[in-house]
Amino acid sequence: MADKDYSSTDDQALVGAARQGDTRAFEELVVRHRDKIYARAFSMLRNDQEAIDLSQEAWVKGWQRLNQFQGESSFGTWMTRIVINLCLDDLRRQKRQRTDSMEAIEEESGGVERQMPILEVNPTAGLERAELRKRIDRALGQLSHEHRTVLVLHEFEEMEYKQIAKTMECSIGTVMSRLFYARRKLAVLLTDLKKESST
Amino acid sequence: MNYEEQLKLQSFLDGELPEGDAREVAAWVARDKQAAGLLAELRHTREAVAGSDQAVRLPESREFYWSKIQREIARLEPAGTREARAFSLWDYLRRLAVPATALALVAIAGFVANRGLTGGGGTGVTEFSVSVGEALTYRDYAAGATLVWLSYPADNEVAQNSSSATLP
Repeated sequence: MADKDYSSTDDQALVGAARQGDTRAFEELVVRHRDKIYARAFSMLRNDQEAIDLSQEAWVKGWQRLNQFQGESSFGTWMTRIVINLCLDDLRRQKRQRTDSMEAIEEESGGVERQMPILEVNPTAGLERAELRKRIDRALGQLSHEHRTVLVLHEFEEMEYKQIAKTMECSIGTVMSRLFYARRKLAVLLTDLKKESST
Repeated sequence: MNYEEQLKLQSFLDGELPEGDAREVAAWVARDKQAAGLLAELRHTREAVAGSDQAVRLPESREFYWSKIQREIARLEPAGTREARAFSLWDYLRRLAVPATALALVAIAGFVANRGLTGGGGTGVTEFSVSVGEALTYRDYAAGATLVWLSYPADNEVAQNSSSATLP
């Protein structure tokens, strides 16, 4: 018997079929949302292979928890929350195994971001989209995972401070200060990249 | 500008301030060049980052990526497990039927034995032995018959094929 064609079936119906054990329906969901789920894992972990492995783990978890999906958010958003939580667990595990990054030490030792001079020139002005992405990618890679995660949840996932605090299990004050530091540090890094490219 | 004011500017940018506070900050930014400068810097960074991950693509083929997920799903939940769950009520009733039948047989055998003892016919010597969850034996020496009821789990092949036997 030929496989069903699910290409025009909506996510909700695919979830229903997958709940009944239809792996073809689940595969269609994976195909539709794999880039977003991988992108979120990569933005937090900054490592290709880890992001692939963790995003696959997220899909397996999603399959196991399909009965918990109530449709309050879109399926893509629900899956994104799963991968974010897996990444946070992984980053916490990694952090326990190594010393804190320089950024975290700076943050705890007196808030260098408060003394940074204000940058009057927009370091990304006039850049091509592809070049801008490349620079932001490099700059994000230089932030500590705590600062990067706050930035990712705020700018990419459009979460409010309260939601970020809940997701990261910290106070709203910590979210605000990490976000402030991350933005200011990123502005400096982008300026440095601009200088680098013009010399 | 102190740190609290800096964070307030950021909250203003992110729309996290109550309406009254937001109006106050807007007025402050309008008259303070330093505050306006910081707000502009934060805004530029926010705008540059937003949407910068939209072009990220999974660096693996669809088939390769899915195959690992599929294998893991199959490992966790072997094929047919879900179908088997649909018959769980039947299995439950079937399991319940075994001890119920055994009890009924004990009652019948007791009744027969009692009648044999009080009826004066034959020697009236009977014997029961019940092993919970395994077998029930009724032996009537007068009739020279032995009845054995096996109550193995119903999905046991032996039990399905011969749940009772009469021995000489």
